[in-house]
Amino acid sequence: MLFQTTPAHEELRAKIRAFAEEEIKPIAFQLDQNNEFPDDVVRKMGQMGFMGIPYPKEYGGAGLDALSYAIAVEELSRVDGGVGVILSAHVSLGSWPIFAFGTEEQKQKYLAPLARGEKIGAFGLTEPNAGSDAGGTETTAVLKGDHYILNGGKIFITNAPKADTYVVFAVTTPDIGTRGISAFIVEKGWKGFYFGDHYDKLGIRSSSTAELIFDNVEVPKENLLGKEGEGFKIAMATLDGGRIGIASQALGIAQGAYENAVEYAKERIQFGKPIGFQQTISFKLADMATKLRCARFLVYSAAELKENHVPYGMESAMAKMYASDIALEVTNDALQIFGGAGYMKGMEVERAYRDAKITTIYEGTNEIQRVVISSHIMGKPPKSESGSSSRPKKPAPITGVRKKMILRDGGPAEQVAALVEHLKKDGHDFTVGIPVDTPIAQAERVVSAGKGIGDEENMILIEDLARAAGAAVGSSRPVAETLKYVPLNRYVGMSGQKFTGNLYIACGISGAVQHLKGIKDASTIVAINKNPGAAIFKNCDYGIVGEVEEILPLLTAALDTGEKQPAPPMVKMKRPRPPKEEPIGKRYVCGGCGYEYVPELGDPDGEIAAGTLFEKLPEDWVCPECAEAKDQFIEA
Amino acid sequence: MHCVRTVTDNLYWVGANDHRLALFENIHPIPKGVSYNAYLLLDKKSVLFDTVDWSVCRQLMENVEYLLEGKALDYLVINHMEPDHGACIEEILLRYPKVKVISTEKAFMFMRQFGFHVDGHECIEVKEGDTFTFGDHTVTFVGAPMVHWPEAMVTFDVTNGVLFSADAFGSFIALDGKLFADEVNFDRDWIDEARRYLTNIVGKYGPHIQLLLKKAGGILDQIKYICPLHGPVWRKDLGYFVEKYDKWSRYEPEVKGVMIAYASMYGNTEAAAQALASKLCEKGVTDVAVYDVSNTHVSYLISETFKYSHIVLASVTYNLGIYPVMKSYLEDMKALNLQNRTFAIIENGSWACKSGDLMEKFIDEELKNMTVLNERLSLASALHADKAIELDNLANALVESLNEQA
Repeated sequence: MLFQTTPAHEELRAKIRAFAEEEIKPIAFQLDQNNEFPDDVVRKMGQMGFMGIPYPKEYGGAGLDALSYAIAVEELSRVDGGVGVILSAHVSLGSWPIFAFGTEEQKQKYLAPLARGEKIGAFGLTEPNAGSDAGGTETTAVLKGDHYILNGGKIFITNAPKADTYVVFAVTTPDIGTRGISAFIVEKGWKGFYFGDHYDKLGIRSSSTAELIFDNVEVPKENLLGKEGEGFKIAMATLDGGRIGIASQALGIAQGAYENAVEYAKERIQFGKPIGFQQTISFKLADMATKLRCARFLVYSAAELKENHVPYGMESAMAKMYASDIALEVTNDALQIFGGAGYMKGMEVERAYRDAKITTIYEGTNEIQRVVISSHIMGKPPKSESGSSSRPKKPAPITGVRKKMILRDGGPAEQVAALVEHLKKDGHDFTVGIPVDTPIAQAERVVSAGKGIGDEENMILIEDLARAAGAAVGSSRPVAETLKYVPLNRYVGMSGQKFTGNLYIACGISGAVQHLKGIKDASTIVAINKNPGAAIFKNCDYGIVGEVEEILPLLTAALDTGEKQPAPPMVKMKRPRPPKEEPIGKRYVCGGCGYEYVPELGDPDGEIAAGTLFEKLPEDWVCPECAEAKDQFIEA
Repeated sequence: MHCVRTVTDNLYWVGANDHRLALFENIHPIPKGVSYNAYLLLDKKSVLFDTVDWSVCRQLMENVEYLLEGKALDYLVINHMEPDHGACIEEILLRYPKVKVISTEKAFMFMRQFGFHVDGHECIEVKEGDTFTFGDHTVTFVGAPMVHWPEAMVTFDVTNGVLFSADAFGSFIALDGKLFADEVNFDRDWIDEARRYLTNIVGKYGPHIQLLLKKAGGILDQIKYICPLHGPVWRKDLGYFVEKYDKWSRYEPEVKGVMIAYASMYGNTEAAAQALASKLCEKGVTDVAVYDVSNTHVSYLISETFKYSHIVLASVTYNLGIYPVMKSYLEDMKALNLQNRTFAIIENGSWACKSGDLMEKFIDEELKNMTVLNERLSLASALHADKAIELDNLANALVESLNEQA
């Protein structure tokens, strides 16, 4: 074993190096100075087949291996780190999730033009409150009929706004952490999909980076990538591979700076000989070359593991972390060798010095890479109360996962206006309505009165609001049974009528358990109550704390659109079901007794920590029930 | 007097039927009896494959004695040590002092545990892949751990293609003269009892059945006879039964239809179950089976649950919990590893209705890969007209789910 690339790899390297030297090098300084995206270069890269190197030919790719792709990013970055990341973000982030998780239709529609280089791809995960911890994702996607409504935004998105397709992550099930995140393919140009400013960056200035803004973007259901709730898994798998791209980029930037430094060290004469023959400089070069060789082996080996479908998550994290850490050291040393000359704009080492920094930051900071690597060594930590946001922190309320957005800004009028805006945004159309006496179980919307409504004369507020909201009238059990404000068949609850429609407005209802169980399938729950501690607020999507006498007339006025059109047959807005926790690994059954090893539980008696995969059990581990050896187990 | 049947040249069924036993394994009712099969091969050497339950030991002895015509028995092959097959080992050892015993390491350990004195005899310990020749016939031994005991093996006669399959491919119901599956209307008269046998006795060990099927898959074209330890011998249409085993052991439903299991104290929950059954039939779903869990032995419930794709559980609340019989049925589903079903829930409670939430929690947390439909029918004591829409929604959800999986 010689640890060498194949002749085919070296031919490809020569081809890409020639392209970079001829097409990019002459304009690299200009791109850097002007913060300019090299449209022509990227187009040519597509024509030459660089944009789909690791994808099968049937999807427009070049059908080459992961190592070829790593070499391509390395060679481009050797000349311009910005162009390197254009390719890396396009291939690893924008295209790979579609390749790995897309349906055949999605691959034909989106992957093929990306791989052919006709379109550019990008990946939207990072948000102001969600970077290293994807559980903080705030962009939402709500299923309505045959499409999702996407709202929110993404920051620091490489290749935006140049890219044509974006793999975007959004919350489809709130409140359950990363298990509630789903992935979508979003096209540039769709209504409501905007870009913020192109960022002004320290380095990699030839790559474009912008903010994504989603304002009620309608994403067709068929653009869901994978299944609902699989978004986090898709993002993590993508980043596993993306790290190889960034590692290659760091390697290329460092390689370019190193070569420049060697050349300069041979030319620059001080004390009568080239500075490269001064021990202080020659030792620097020796260290730089050693680090580069280490980094290259880490990167290429991770690429080979990926290509051969061997687990490579830890190795790609090591490659990314090490290559980018040494890229800072190597570019720093290179600039030092150049001395004052290297500090000048227009010098390649000056650009490389700036370009290198980003590689320790993006696609998982090097701190996160160390988390990844150490988790492979140590396994899952023992369960604790605090910690990762990927686990629900509290049991879901009775009505399931809810937004629980209590509108507090401004006075009552502003709060009501905000509520109406949210409801309209969620897709409730108040130009249509249903008769107020529609049976509860058939009603699309219900305005319901609780004991907090006060005297019977206040029921007029409920009826007015019901008419304005195009809703039927309901009540809590005591309002029908004890106060007798409405007939018995209008009380909502587990023992009464169940409301399964789209909008439930609870007025003066405190939220008894049996009432909440009767509305747990409601798509949207609005709570209006003067007691901020009422249980209903923990079970609602939107809430206003205030007196019904004050809030209800305001809301009635805000929703009143005059005569309502008869509502079309109800399209039920989908309620997210908290998805079940994915198993962390396969279960195995003992051939000696039928005992099932569950990795989530481990084997406490055998001192095997919960979370230990069967594959990671020590070789001398035996069945806790019958002492059969590990090899007597079969996959459950 | 002897009572034997010929399986094929030189191979004889020497087992017996039992109609007196009420509960198989002292737990599962067997109203149509059961057979304990043992087989005798008369080659240059004579070989008895397994023995029978103690209750029919005398019949086995008469059968063997008759066929041996005064000669000694040379070999005893034990595929499975459970006492309904192994109980007569000691008697064979006493009658044929020179008999050599062939079995697995674990089976010999069990023989000693059960108190059979094998140590005075030649014990031939075999493992996966070993072969043995009795004259014209050569057999090979294949491990079948956890189908459904750890010591189990099956023996394949490569000369005539007979597979001695131990408890695999067995069934309840006494043979009563018939020996072969093609001598009865199996799909009409036997399949339900065969399913009840498999799912209740071996149901938990699906992955191990799959392993055995995979091993058998390699020699499927060479298998001419399947000789199980209970029920008929298969010599035609083997694929029919193998396919059933494959389905059951993968926990895939056989039938797209609805099983409604209700727990009712005074008939109100039962009425709701019946109303749902009618609704479903009205909507064209007629593959509906309704069971009262209190009056149906749980082994029948389990068997039907393995059969149907959709299960409706209708239960009253009892001591703020699930009705005990329903709870025991759920526990059996868990014990038998049942998976991949869609559930719907009907709950009833006169003051604090808990059964629905508790059943859903059990299904979600204790069972594997189950779906519970959102549409739940909740009753306060009894079903009234105001719940008609809920009932309809539940029926629609079931129909929709059945169609989705079509």
